[in-house]
Amino acid sequence: MIRFENVTKLYKDKKALEDINLEINHGEFVSLVGQSGAGKSTLLKLIFAEEKLDSGRILIDEVDIASLSETEIPYLRRKIGVVFQDIKLLPKKTAFENVGFAMEVAGYAREKIERDVPRILEIVGLKDKIMNFPAEMSGGEKQRVAIARALAHKPVLLIADEPTGNLDEINSYEILDLLHKINNLGTTVILATHARDLVNKIQKRVVTMETGRVAYDQAKGHYKL
Amino acid sequence: MGSLALYRAIKSGWINFWRNFWLSAAATLVMVITLSILTLTLITFNVTNVAVKNIQERVDISVYFKGKVAEPQILNIKSHLEAMPEVASINYISADKALSDFRAKHAGNALIEESLAQLPDNPLPATLQIKAKSLDQYPAIATELAKPDYQTYVQKVNFEDNRTVIERLSRVLNTVKKLGVGMAIIFSFIAVLVIFNTIRLTIYNRREEVEIMKLVGATNWYIRWPFIVESILYGIAASIITILMTIPILNYLLPRLNLYLGTMLNDQTSAFSLSHIFLLQLGIALLLGIISSTIAIRRYLRV
Repeated sequence: MIRFENVTKLYKDKKALEDINLEINHGEFVSLVGQSGAGKSTLLKLIFAEEKLDSGRILIDEVDIASLSETEIPYLRRKIGVVFQDIKLLPKKTAFENVGFAMEVAGYAREKIERDVPRILEIVGLKDKIMNFPAEMSGGEKQRVAIARALAHKPVLLIADEPTGNLDEINSYEILDLLHKINNLGTTVILATHARDLVNKIQKRVVTMETGRVAYDQAKGHYKL
Repeated sequence: MGSLALYRAIKSGWINFWRNFWLSAAATLVMVITLSILTLTLITFNVTNVAVKNIQERVDISVYFKGKVAEPQILNIKSHLEAMPEVASINYISADKALSDFRAKHAGNALIEESLAQLPDNPLPATLQIKAKSLDQYPAIATELAKPDYQTYVQKVNFEDNRTVIERLSRVLNTVKKLGVGMAIIFSFIAVLVIFNTIRLTIYNRREEVEIMKLVGATNWYIRWPFIVESILYGIAASIITILMTIPILNYLLPRLNLYLGTMLNDQTSAFSLSHIFLLQLGIALLLGIISSTIAIRRYLRV
């Protein structure tokens, strides 16, 4: 579903990504590992068009991202759910409202939002926290809300950029389980992380990045660095 | 844009408007000041304009003839003057007509009737009332009448008095126009700056929301509209406040001006109709608001 062809990205003459060739298929669970500054985040940002590449092509379902107009990019983003380390919930909104907000933005009607949001929150295990504000939740719970929000518009691809970066071990494993569950329901998942234990537990494809290049790409990989 | 997106944009703009109440109040206030200056200029300009027109209409050159001048001689002068290209019309009032008009006007006033009866003959002169085609042609007619040929017959020509009044009013009109337009431009500029800054702050306050909206696939206009709606609300609020202030002022001023100018200002120009004034205020307020929010969005809202 995603194909990188000789992708290079520069930040002021410095190469953040160099000559990346990578293909990710529908339904895959891919761990993207590497040290800070290896280019993981940049690679992910290119997928949801937060950054523009300098040379090469990125195809999503055979469509070149660079060919998308400014008005088409939002529709690309509705196919992709994104989760970050810093969670980015709106503090003045409840769990329900945070997820509902994302659906409003995508143009869903009120009735559908009221029907779907509790279901999604149930999937991520927050049935009892629907009306809680972020301040009333633990880090792991907040990240679950963020995942629920990313799932709200039923994306085909979920991108998780260090989702467990601020979480303790138990919460991290729970988030990982949740990502697995989402993957089993058919959503492609790309997980960027430098949590060695997590990656070794997953037992799925691992792409290792070093200084802007793909160093290893193993079908059943381990954290190598 | 669908009706759902429109509803959400208006709702979101409405929330923005109330969330930072004092900021919104300041933005609305400066808009009210701008609109008030504009309205005041407009009213003053129109009042002066009507006054000038009014006096212009009443302007004529009156030529009073000496008592012994015979009517054919006067009519001769009349047709001579009528030949001038500047002259629009000449009204001849004979001495007898002047007297009967005077009597009619003061009918019932015993003192005047008695005084007139005691006079040996008609004290009132025959008169020619000359109207020029336009105001600036009166001097030419006045110059013609000042020629020695006429001096034998003419007792008095009155013109100069009115001219100074008209010139003074024209100067007032010009000053009002320049001052008002100048002030309006300056305050429009200030209003644009203040609203621009308010929208900028709203964008800053909502940066997280905007970031998430982008992330979950909001279209650019979905993100932009609430800020434009916010500026439209400032415009609507400001024009409503200004028109509410204008109503009592007009109610106080119009009857007095009508009395003073001896005319119905409301009939002479639509500039005094409240709906006209309100539409103008609203139009300008919306224009200023949309200009400022568009600049702020272009500058600070990276979508």
